[in-house]
Amino acid sequence: MPITILPPRSSRPINSNNNSRLPQEDASSSEESDSDSGGGVDLDGDVPMRPRQQVRTTFQARPPPRDLASAVVTPGEVITDDPQWMRGHGTYVAPQTTAIVSSVAGTVTRTNKLLSVRPLRARYTPEVGDLVVGRVVEVQARRWRVDVGSTQLAALPLSAINLPGGILRKRTETDELQIRTFFAEGDLVVAEVQQLFGDGGAVLHTRSLKYGKLRNGVFVAVSGMGGGGGVVRSRRQVWTMDAANGGGQVDVVLGVNGYVWISKHVETPEAEATAAGGSITNMEESLSATVYSSQNDRIEVETMREIARLRGVVMALVENGLRVDEEMVIKGYHEAVEMAMVSPEGPDDIYLGGEKGQQLAAALTGA
Amino acid sequence: MPLDTSTYNLALLRVDGRRWNELRRVHAQIRTQAAADGSSYLEMGHTKVMCVVTGPSEPGPRRGGVAGGGSGGAGAGGAGGKAEVVVGIVIAGFSSVDRKRHGRGDKRTLELASTVANALAASLHTHLFPHSQINVSLHVLSQDGSLLAALINAATLACVDAGIPMTDYVAACTAGSTSTYAANDEGADPLLDLNHQEEQELPGLTVATLGESDRVAVLVCESRVQVSRLEGMLAVGVDGCKQMREILDRVVRDKGRRMIQEGTVEKGVGLDDMDVD
Repeated sequence: MPITILPPRSSRPINSNNNSRLPQEDASSSEESDSDSGGGVDLDGDVPMRPRQQVRTTFQARPPPRDLASAVVTPGEVITDDPQWMRGHGTYVAPQTTAIVSSVAGTVTRTNKLLSVRPLRARYTPEVGDLVVGRVVEVQARRWRVDVGSTQLAALPLSAINLPGGILRKRTETDELQIRTFFAEGDLVVAEVQQLFGDGGAVLHTRSLKYGKLRNGVFVAVSGMGGGGGVVRSRRQVWTMDAANGGGQVDVVLGVNGYVWISKHVETPEAEATAAGGSITNMEESLSATVYSSQNDRIEVETMREIARLRGVVMALVENGLRVDEEMVIKGYHEAVEMAMVSPEGPDDIYLGGEKGQQLAAALTGA
Repeated sequence: MPLDTSTYNLALLRVDGRRWNELRRVHAQIRTQAAADGSSYLEMGHTKVMCVVTGPSEPGPRRGGVAGGGSGGAGAGGAGGKAEVVVGIVIAGFSSVDRKRHGRGDKRTLELASTVANALAASLHTHLFPHSQINVSLHVLSQDGSLLAALINAATLACVDAGIPMTDYVAACTAGSTSTYAANDEGADPLLDLNHQEEQELPGLTVATLGESDRVAVLVCESRVQVSRLEGMLAVGVDGCKQMREILDRVVRDKGRRMIQEGTVEKGVGLDDMDVD
């Protein structure tokens, strides 16, 4: 929809008619008086059905919103009719008016003169640079189609992955024929959004040693961004933490799209190569050996238990409507470990649903 | 038991004790299913409906084929530049007094589904989601009249919960008339929100409007009624839709306010506290 730019007007306060009726009052007053009038309204057809002023257009009939900071706007609600603002996501401009109307239920945000509404909850909308976890659902001739929880499947072209045997190797037809040896249907990948299409589709890439196929762990899907607790874009989406009770080190990947991966930490080939004092060629060899493997490494029972506990923490955060980020997960994990200490079952008690989840959430929000 | 309409003129009260312009008790909830993109539960009197929305998402493999289970589609599908709205309705066998099996290809259910799909497709901003599909799954748990209205209201709420942009709420309700077609009573009063008993005996229509405007999105009349009475019925129905919109809006607002209080959603900004220069 094109944005109409109107000449600036003299500054007048927005929501100048703030003293008009609130919708709650509107609702109560719109109900007819409680008398037993027996339904004697003018329904004969020769007089207007309702008082004239009630048959106004939608966009004038509604009072302007009160105290936008604390309230939510709902679909059809006029945010402002001042033409100085531009409409952003979650809004539309009604035809033949300058009123900016909300199209989703959410909170109003503004960037300079741009007004947008952030929905209480919505599907993930990809943005360039997002770290996402996805599942390969389809293999095509030169690309994979990856479910990232968005409105469409994302594309991962063969040219956007690290091919074994050297990062700078040219893509050949042999690679195209062996496309399933890299990723097959059902594989989980961690990738970055490289490019967006106009229709909202995304193109991913895994051209970094941080990205690639996921193994040795467990997948958790938390609902998309916003409401009901979800993954928020933050400085660090991937980290390695020390697990308690002899669980070794555990990697956590929080995809911005609400897909989470928790796995046993395996030394990256890069780190191994530097530790061994080897050159870049060593690194490439180890890369080819491990990166596209679908075989899990040996995982100790203690590590598995701590991975499961972390998964429980993430689920408890989501169930209790808390945001999922590095700080909350780590704090929640330490809390969960302490809760298990006092439990009669000892460290093997990893259940964090129901009341225990609420207890965990209370401890996190109280602290 | 046939509906005795003769007593209406004595006390001006309907069989369930309501006056002509009163809605039944409406109870609604959103976000009832944690795993769904959007979900809602709606009661209008004893009509109880559950709704789950999935999407917008990539259309499944059964694309192009006729989806089973009483469904109707609207919109240009994956091929065009718009999302397709697919509605499936399941009517539980225990939902009405006489236990009835509703087959998959039940014509009545299919018609309900396509009416709901077309109403939603008109309000939802489907052009924002090309090559995708919005799946609306409706489950009828209990029937006591105004089924189509309840289905539309529940679907609207679930779409709001799913965060799908829309022009405005599509709020629906029914209207009827106090005497039968055969009675040919010119002085008959219109009635708001028919229950099952009234729906069986009296002429009625279902109307849905877009938000607070008078724009009618759905108008279904399946009974015989004198045209002179129609205008009154429609006016009462449209007024009921506005009341219904307020009720639905309050449900969404309450949920939003609670989420802000709990801190799951960041606060918005006011427009007043920014400098206008």
